[in-house]
Amino acid sequence: MKRIIIISITVFSLIFIISIGYIITSIEKSTSTLDKLIVLHQVEILREHLLIQIKRVQADLNLKNTRYARSVDTVVSDVANLQNVADTCFDCHHDEEVTQKLKGISSQIEEYKNALSRVFTIRANVARLDREEDIAFGIGAELIKQVDEMIALTTSKLEKRTQATLEKITEAKAILYFFLAFGPLLTIVLSYYLISSFTKPIKKLMHATTRLREGDLDHRIEGLKDEFGEVARSFNEMSGALKEHFTKIQRVEQGIVLGELAAGLAHEIKNPLTGVKGAIELISQEASIAQEDREMLLKAIEDVMRIEALMKDLMNFAKPPKPQYTTADINSILRATVSFALKHPSFSPGNGKTITLVNHLDENLPKTKADPQQLRQIFLNLLLNAAEEMPGGGTLRLETSYDAPSRQIQIRISDTGKGIPENFMDKIFQPFFTTKAKGTGLGLAIIRRLIEQHEGEISVANNVSGGAAFTIRLPANGHAE
Amino acid sequence: MKNMLILFCLCLSFFAGCTSKEPVPPPPEKKSDSRVLVIGLIPEQNIFKQMERYKPVAEYIHKKTGYKIELVVLPRYGNIIDNFVSKNMDGAFFGSFTYTLAHAKLGVEVLARPENLEGISSYHGLIFVRKDSGIRTAKDMKRKRFAFVDKATTAGYLLPLEYFHENDISDYRTYFQETYFTGTHEDAIHDVLEGKADIGAAKNTVFDKLANADSRINKYLLVLKKSPEVPENSLALRKDIDESVRKKLQDVLLDMHNDPEGMDVLKQFGARRFIETTNDDFEPVVRYCEHIHLDLSTYDYMN
Repeated sequence: MKRIIIISITVFSLIFIISIGYIITSIEKSTSTLDKLIVLHQVEILREHLLIQIKRVQADLNLKNTRYARSVDTVVSDVANLQNVADTCFDCHHDEEVTQKLKGISSQIEEYKNALSRVFTIRANVARLDREEDIAFGIGAELIKQVDEMIALTTSKLEKRTQATLEKITEAKAILYFFLAFGPLLTIVLSYYLISSFTKPIKKLMHATTRLREGDLDHRIEGLKDEFGEVARSFNEMSGALKEHFTKIQRVEQGIVLGELAAGLAHEIKNPLTGVKGAIELISQEASIAQEDREMLLKAIEDVMRIEALMKDLMNFAKPPKPQYTTADINSILRATVSFALKHPSFSPGNGKTITLVNHLDENLPKTKADPQQLRQIFLNLLLNAAEEMPGGGTLRLETSYDAPSRQIQIRISDTGKGIPENFMDKIFQPFFTTKAKGTGLGLAIIRRLIEQHEGEISVANNVSGGAAFTIRLPANGHAE
Repeated sequence: MKNMLILFCLCLSFFAGCTSKEPVPPPPEKKSDSRVLVIGLIPEQNIFKQMERYKPVAEYIHKKTGYKIELVVLPRYGNIIDNFVSKNMDGAFFGSFTYTLAHAKLGVEVLARPENLEGISSYHGLIFVRKDSGIRTAKDMKRKRFAFVDKATTAGYLLPLEYFHENDISDYRTYFQETYFTGTHEDAIHDVLEGKADIGAAKNTVFDKLANADSRINKYLLVLKKSPEVPENSLALRKDIDESVRKKLQDVLLDMHNDPEGMDVLKQFGARRFIETTNDDFEPVVRYCEHIHLDLSTYDYMN
């Protein structure tokens, strides 16, 4: 976003600078061209003025021997004016060609002045006087011709430049209008883009907040970048955490409800069931009962016992006993549990197949406050589940480790069985969910309740090489030794 | 918003201040006297150049004295005598002979004259011919064309008269095929150089000036005769001019070379300084007139 803001400001500044720059340049150019045009007009006027002065002096010369002859003072004044105009004319900057022409005219003016002076000062016979006058007049006439040519040249240049200037001004005007129209349009488009780049992410965030408020904890914000992307990531993490907490709360509530229900149910069932069990046992001891019926009654007693065990599990799940915390060595508890579990039939699949045990226990694992009895229950349950998952034999891998930064003890029990289907992953810890024919679906649920009582957590994942791995994380209250 | 308006107004006033700042014209120079002096100029050279040459001097005098100097250039040397009265002139830069005439006829009094860059304040007349003309003596001049400057010039007329007198030419009008007056020294020299005349007479200062600018002068022209030295063109005022004015003018001219501005003007003019000049300085001209038997009181100076 910061990048967009910087780019936008840069673009706006560039547009502004370019527009202003162009406007200033075009005004400068136009005024400069007009200035040149004015100068050219002045040059033309100056040259016409020069022509008038030469003609005036020629008139002085023509009138010299008439009764309208002008005084020498007037002639001197006219020639002085002629020289002044010529000097002004020659002071202007010209190109080389014009400069050469002007130099020629300048030297002719000098000749003209000499010839004129001579005409007005000489006293001689008529023939000589006429000759001198003719010379002066000839120079004057030639001067007039040359200045006329210069004026014609200037006029022609002036017409061309005027035309070119007008065309340039029209062109500059057109571009100026374009800028006037295009500039605001571009600004509007850019502003719209800029505002959109602000409002779109905000709208998405607002929408996500609304969805969250409405209870959609699975809603996630996608497609945002930069700072808004950061906000979206935080939002998504917050949603995830909320969902996790919500699920926990739900589970706790479910547990409470289930506990109350189970307690009530157990209370209601336990006594009648004891009666039923006693009655069946008594009946089964009757001698008159056929062997076939006796077996049926024993089967019934077995089912009642299973119901009792279920009731016990249900009670355990609903109202797990409070942990009796003591300083516990996880590795020792785990080793003891494994020794006990190895005696279970599940670890002897038969047909020459065996389950290999691999231990990777961290000997520097810190001791922790925990209920050893409950830990044994947890480990045993997981070990038996793992063994049952490998009816054809396999490898049972036990690992313990300590993560110092999070101060957590990690216990990992991994098998090489067939693993857990992906669609069961999020249900496996739910009560009454089971894949076993005779399972109650409470084993893993109870394990999680017990671990949560220890402020720990349990997770499951399939191994890449096959089988599943359960990972328990417990807070380390002791110190690493 | 209010602050913005104040800032805007301040900016406007700043720019207005910038644009309205026009150069303040200098206060008019305090003039001690608004008198106008009409000063005549003889056509020593091209009449237009003559005016251009004397204009800076006139402006300098005006600045220093407060007297406005109005220059009047005259197409003939002799005119200055007549125009002195008719045009109510207060003074003029006279040639040596015109001053001698004007002093005799009008009683004008000389003030000062320039000293050129070489420190010379006098000149002499020259008679010259083209080297390739073959003219070397008065005898060679018979039936040739003679270019004088003006009847009222020492170099351009009195010298030839003396030369004619020395060589027993009693009437030059019949001795030469054609004689005429060029009106300026410059033209007399140019006419001989360009073959418009065979013999010419002019003053050496103009001859040397032209020779410096045009190498053909010394290459093609040959001087046959020189006159005695006479004073350079001098400023003289009419006799009834106020003495304070005369003194003021003279002081400014004589002090010009001590003033940096005056030095610049003198440089443009082609002089080192102005020196005090009296009637005694024109004694050689009077003697020269006597030598050629010219009576100043009856002399007809008109061409």
